[in-house]
Amino acid sequence: MQILGKSIADLQALIGSRKIKVKEVQQYFLKRVRKYNPTLNAFLTVQDQDEMSPINGVLAGIPFAVKDNFCTKGIRTTASSCVLDQFIPPYESTVTMRLLSAGATILGKTNMDAWAHGSSTETSDYGPTKNPWDLTRSPGGSSGGSAAAVSAYLTPAAIGSETAGSIRQPAAWTGVVGLKPSYGRVSRYGVIAMGSSFDCPGPLTLTVKDAAILLGVIAGKDPFDGTSSNIPTADYKTMLKTKKFLTIGIAKEYMEGMEESLKLKIEESLRIFQKLGHRIKTVSLLSPKYAISVYTIIQRAEVSSNLARYDGIRYGNDRTFFAAEAKRRTMLGAYTLSFGYYDAYYKKAQKVRTLIVEDFKRAFKDVDVIVAASTPISALKLGEFAKYPFFGELMDVLNEPAAIAGIPAISVPCGQDKNGLPVGLQIMGNYFDEATILNLAFQFEKETEFFGVIKKGIARYQD
Amino acid sequence: MTNRSLLSRKDILHLAKLANLSLTNKEIEEYLDQLEDTLSYIDNLKELDTANLLPAARSSNEGNIFFKDGIENGRALTLNETLQNAKKTKDGLFQIPQILNDK
Repeated sequence: MQILGKSIADLQALIGSRKIKVKEVQQYFLKRVRKYNPTLNAFLTVQDQDEMSPINGVLAGIPFAVKDNFCTKGIRTTASSCVLDQFIPPYESTVTMRLLSAGATILGKTNMDAWAHGSSTETSDYGPTKNPWDLTRSPGGSSGGSAAAVSAYLTPAAIGSETAGSIRQPAAWTGVVGLKPSYGRVSRYGVIAMGSSFDCPGPLTLTVKDAAILLGVIAGKDPFDGTSSNIPTADYKTMLKTKKFLTIGIAKEYMEGMEESLKLKIEESLRIFQKLGHRIKTVSLLSPKYAISVYTIIQRAEVSSNLARYDGIRYGNDRTFFAAEAKRRTMLGAYTLSFGYYDAYYKKAQKVRTLIVEDFKRAFKDVDVIVAASTPISALKLGEFAKYPFFGELMDVLNEPAAIAGIPAISVPCGQDKNGLPVGLQIMGNYFDEATILNLAFQFEKETEFFGVIKKGIARYQD
Repeated sequence: MTNRSLLSRKDILHLAKLANLSLTNKEIEEYLDQLEDTLSYIDNLKELDTANLLPAARSSNEGNIFFKDGIENGRALTLNETLQNAKKTKDGLFQIPQILNDK
């Protein structure tokens, strides 16, 4: 049985009809991880399970990879920082708990920027992850290990987390599907906190249907996370079937500064949407350059509070183990929250956050979704980021507005740039309307098969 | 862009103390430049009029959520689980560095 490239939905069918054994699936992916992880450095910890407990549930026997900032009971969890080098969580995050309860199994924990601080996976204390499309390039980040693992099919799917761009940007750079749900749609309980008012767990997958399946399992109110929403979840997978006809917004503010060959791909995608019967409408949005400033101020402030707990007393190593990026962010957060600059920086940023929220709310009165590129350029060479301390934020310029507003967005492959690297298209939706962005992304996938990007990514990594 | 008008070396040391971080001389110099650059960038928020806006502490519209006293807390850890990652424990307690002088 050929497993290479099979989606979660495919594997569900094969396991359900007993055409393939759960054990076989597990061994298959472990073998691939052993073969390719030394090259890619996507996994930090691999779970070799000899004994399989009886498995039931919608994800019965499906292995998944999870970013190393999700607490997994009994499995080392580092957030890619030496501060937590030997940390064994005594409890399970809600996201991994829900996946395990649905019958899925943890294949391993994936590399990331340390504490999720970064957009390249190069700030990991365990070395960078390589982009499966070009080993001299970054997979993006901070969920770079999860994205690379899916792109090279070391796992059928992975869980990542996004504060501002950390799912969509690596998904775009490695040519896979990445979904950032609305803030509050998926519980943050047991996720090592970075920017608590932004953090969103979400799936990285090969298909839109798989993203819908995983969202269906992990979404919903969690009594352990006060910010998780009471708004009912939907049957995301079933809702893919009824084709929606939508008004798609595009904002010229989001097209500025884009690399030309990426821009062409986005324009081509818009023509495909039109062909599918959707209406394109121009909307005006606040320049994303302000989102960078808002994000930088509020997120650094939250980082400095969240990293205060690492004292080396209850768990982990002491604060001398923090690397440069965590220190830099903590220092800036301490600055904007003190020095008498609270009003000038933090409060001002919170007010502009209100402005950004209202900006999107106004736009969504006229359009159903907003479409833009996921990133202004395609995957950079490893080492480029270190030259500019602020560079990550500039790379995430198109992701930060949605993160600040807390709306959902999905990145899907829409072709290759002039260097043959994957290009990502993102669809942003209204609050808690994941169903609509998934619906449109699914239509796009049906029409284009993502221009063969997913298949080409996997083809480099034969069994 | 770096005219070093916003931050002094003394400020950096003060911030490091607030954040309980120890910095090398090289790091102090680097952070001076890098924090200045960042501060210059985020200055663009001044271009926006926010006089009539309320600050947003979060993006969602949910109110405060409270955990009821007395109900079973599924998050509670056992003593062993609580201490399993600590480097120094004694008699079922965390051992912490001395913070007061004997004298």
